[in-house]
Amino acid sequence: MKKQYTYPFSAIVGQEQMKLALLLNIINPTLSGVLIRGEKGTAKSTAVRALADILPEIDVISAVPFNLAPDEDPDVIRECFAVSGETLPAEKTPAVEKHKVRVVELPVGATEDRVVGTLDLEHALKAGEKRIEPGLLAQAHRGILYVDEVNLLDDHVVDVLLDSAAMGVNTIEREGVSFAHPSRFTLVGTMNPEEGELRPQLLDRFGLCVHIEGITDPDERVEVMERRFAFEEDPEAFCRRWSGESEMLVERIRKARELYPSVSVSRENLMAIANYCLEVGVDGHRGDIIIMKTAKTLAAYDGRALVEKEDIDRAAMLALPHRIRRQPLQDIVMDVGSVLKNKAFERVSG
Amino acid sequence: MHSQLYPFAAVIGQEELKHALLLNAVNPRIGGVVIRGEKGTAKSTTVRALGKLLPPVDESAPEGEERSRVITLPLNATEDMVAGGIDFHCTMRDGCRVFQPGLLARADKGVLYIDEVNLLDDHIVDLVLDAAASGENRVEREGISFCHPASFVLVGTMNPEEGELRPQLLDRFGFCVEVSAEHDAEKRVEMMLCRESFDEDREAFIASYGNENERIAGKILAARRMLPAVRMPSHLRGFISELCRSNNVAGHRADLVIEQAARATAAYRGSSVVEVDDITAVASLALSHRRRDPVPPSPPPEPPRSRERQNQDEQPEQDRGNEEREQAGPDERQDDGGQDSPDGRSGPEERSSENRTDEQQQKDPEQSEDGDDADEAALPEQVFEIAAPFKVRPISSPKDRAMRRGSGKRSRSRVSQKQGRYTKSTMKRRNNDIALDATLRAAAPFQRHRENLNDMAVILHDEDIREKIREKRLGNLLIFVVDASGSMGAKGRMAASKGAVMSLLIDAYQKRDKLAMVSFRKDSATVNLPVTSSVELAAKLLREMPVGGRTPFSAGLVKGYEIARNHLLKEPDARPMIIMVTDGKANKALGDRKPLEEVFDLSLKIAGEGRIRFLVVDTEEPGLVNFGLARKIAGMLQAEYFKIDDLQADTLLNIVKNTTS
Repeated sequence: MKKQYTYPFSAIVGQEQMKLALLLNIINPTLSGVLIRGEKGTAKSTAVRALADILPEIDVISAVPFNLAPDEDPDVIRECFAVSGETLPAEKTPAVEKHKVRVVELPVGATEDRVVGTLDLEHALKAGEKRIEPGLLAQAHRGILYVDEVNLLDDHVVDVLLDSAAMGVNTIEREGVSFAHPSRFTLVGTMNPEEGELRPQLLDRFGLCVHIEGITDPDERVEVMERRFAFEEDPEAFCRRWSGESEMLVERIRKARELYPSVSVSRENLMAIANYCLEVGVDGHRGDIIIMKTAKTLAAYDGRALVEKEDIDRAAMLALPHRIRRQPLQDIVMDVGSVLKNKAFERVSG
Repeated sequence: MHSQLYPFAAVIGQEELKHALLLNAVNPRIGGVVIRGEKGTAKSTTVRALGKLLPPVDESAPEGEERSRVITLPLNATEDMVAGGIDFHCTMRDGCRVFQPGLLARADKGVLYIDEVNLLDDHIVDLVLDAAASGENRVEREGISFCHPASFVLVGTMNPEEGELRPQLLDRFGFCVEVSAEHDAEKRVEMMLCRESFDEDREAFIASYGNENERIAGKILAARRMLPAVRMPSHLRGFISELCRSNNVAGHRADLVIEQAARATAAYRGSSVVEVDDITAVASLALSHRRRDPVPPSPPPEPPRSRERQNQDEQPEQDRGNEEREQAGPDERQDDGGQDSPDGRSGPEERSSENRTDEQQQKDPEQSEDGDDADEAALPEQVFEIAAPFKVRPISSPKDRAMRRGSGKRSRSRVSQKQGRYTKSTMKRRNNDIALDATLRAAAPFQRHRENLNDMAVILHDEDIREKIREKRLGNLLIFVVDASGSMGAKGRMAASKGAVMSLLIDAYQKRDKLAMVSFRKDSATVNLPVTSSVELAAKLLREMPVGGRTPFSAGLVKGYEIARNHLLKEPDARPMIIMVTDGKANKALGDRKPLEEVFDLSLKIAGEGRIRFLVVDTEEPGLVNFGLARKIAGMLQAEYFKIDDLQADTLLNIVKNTTS
């Protein structure tokens, strides 16, 4: 089969916020995802798919389709082997292979079965043994789960996503037969807000939120067309031309991942985050935590071991838009800075 | 995987919640906790962490194994998952019926945790609450009859934006805790630090709180042992009942809950006698969701620009009007308005004074002068505020035999997905949703004659397989057809109408309906919003909807009908509802005939379609002269007919209805 080329991530013109948000999530998966809001045809999907190119490699137990890490709970590993009809090697160390972190796409029309996985009850009845067909949540474990038009997702699929996002575990259960496997993923969703809003709980699960629009600069638009054309003409050559940039980015991500644990935030800056959230009126505490994590990741991405005030401001722009408290049925605020200014103005004017 | 949970002792703030959970851990007879509040306030974290603190079920059981017993009930749980069903494995192998316990059995002597309990299917909620109340789970389905103990602490969380719990369900929870985000910046910083060090190295973090967790667990265990010996002095029982009476609480559950909770508090303190402070410490936890008035237990979050006026009944409104007239002259009121005005807050104040009924305005000339001259029929184009939304009475389509897919919470329907209540079985194979009981029954008569190939007790063939037919609630398509003509602007009826539509929109969001919006005024009807699920967009359009001009009723009716018909072409099984919000005073026709005649004729024709349901919300001012046109049209459309006030769900009435049915 001919190799499928994806458009290189570094060749995407503009949309810096979106690219940044995605990169931050690769560096630090505990940011728990990005929601990309914006109109059609703004390279949302291209960017997410292009991530495949620059994602780091992980160790995976190769025999079973659950993306298990070699240091996973032995009970879990045993169970996963059992339901896949595989035998766990006696010497206790199943074969491990390296593969890149996956981008798994969840189509909007996906049924609950497809997402969660299915238990073949008929087989169980006739042959008397458990057999599991793993779903997308198994594939997405330790990877990226990408939902295009996440706002159009069926409610019960959303429930499933929320449950496994909260617990890190996906449970397949039918007629008293149940099976659970780990499922921790970075959730990336895109949506066009005109077609309906997300449920608050789901909205809150996305660590970061960016709003994107079509590029207005004519030169950049020309650039978009030219690159796209070049890619379609000869994808191989195009990817080769950009491979230098991609490698640099991969290297930068790797370094940032290494640096992250040693990045520190001064207490003063932590107070600034808390006050910022109190000031603009944010639901809950997830906003604070995500801002801090984002600021640290930003510093790591820039190769610094200390978070600066500027990191916090940038982090707030990414972490707060969807968390600012709003009235029922009101639009999401996209410009966090303006909220702060308005509040300050209200205070001054009494 | 469970060993990686965030430790209870490391939860910062949320003292009330922690207190409520601890008391329940000491004394499960308190009846659980419902936690209301915004997202991201450590609700789930705290509840899940509680598992580590519970005393072992069987004290001889090995440490650790039996201790993390917070069972989470997922929202997509089915009845057999919750209550239990047949253990097919044993059944097939040994040929006898074996009961396989469900979540309720696993939660016995532990905590059953339901995140977003208000979104759970009603029949599952009933099942869980029955077990919680009786302390046992009785299964009578699919040919099994079984009963096992299920005494657990029920903990539910809910975000009120997503819809309220039915009042009688709310009442079943012993405690209600409102949580909100921490206001103290210092504490928020602590939280960030804790969370980050937890994420960095979970095991080390958990270990560092090990001692503190052990201390609390020890206290709980000691309190549990102490509990049976705790005495309640009889004069304090009188105090409890007085407390409940003065708070206007429905039923006796509150009294019982407070008594149990006070005993738990005393035991936790290490004392064997209940004191007054033990009671006052827990009273608000038990009373906040049971108090009937003056504060309703569950006020929905309200938009800032609204006043409760509209949804009060006649009497208090009039009272308030009188009060205002006595206390404040028009001038003073003007001043108040001036101060508020930068954000337009004075708007609704003036508007709502327009909204008074004729009668009041006559009684109250001062007041009517204060408002605008809203009496004119021929008003210039205007945009009215939205009156305060209210809770809408249940509206749904009747059940039929069609199979549908989807989600939502409005009308009952058979569904072709593996969700919802199992009502009967079928031979038709569709989705491998196998009905075990029916399959076994089908296979039973042939067992003697079948060849046993793989050593199973029961031999199944393809023709035995039966599938489940399930039933659940789904969303509908709601098409709002809103009259925006000049007559609606009169006396601010538009504000009230918009309030009604807004209420229906909020209801539509909670029930996950799709919607579309048409408005008609001047010469034509326009589709403001094609079919979408964006309630936000609908609300925005509603806010900005201008009023003025004539009433092209037929045009609106036809537009609404077209949307419904097009939707039916795409989804023939859909059940669209057209909601007409109008006073019915048609005065502009599509053709050459008299407007009203045309409307009547069209209505009769459209009603013949059958698959579309109509709802007419009459906005005509109840006054001396009523035309009753909207009612007449409703009759022709075979529509359900409401006046704006009838649309409101009367909570007390609903309680009576729901408990007697």
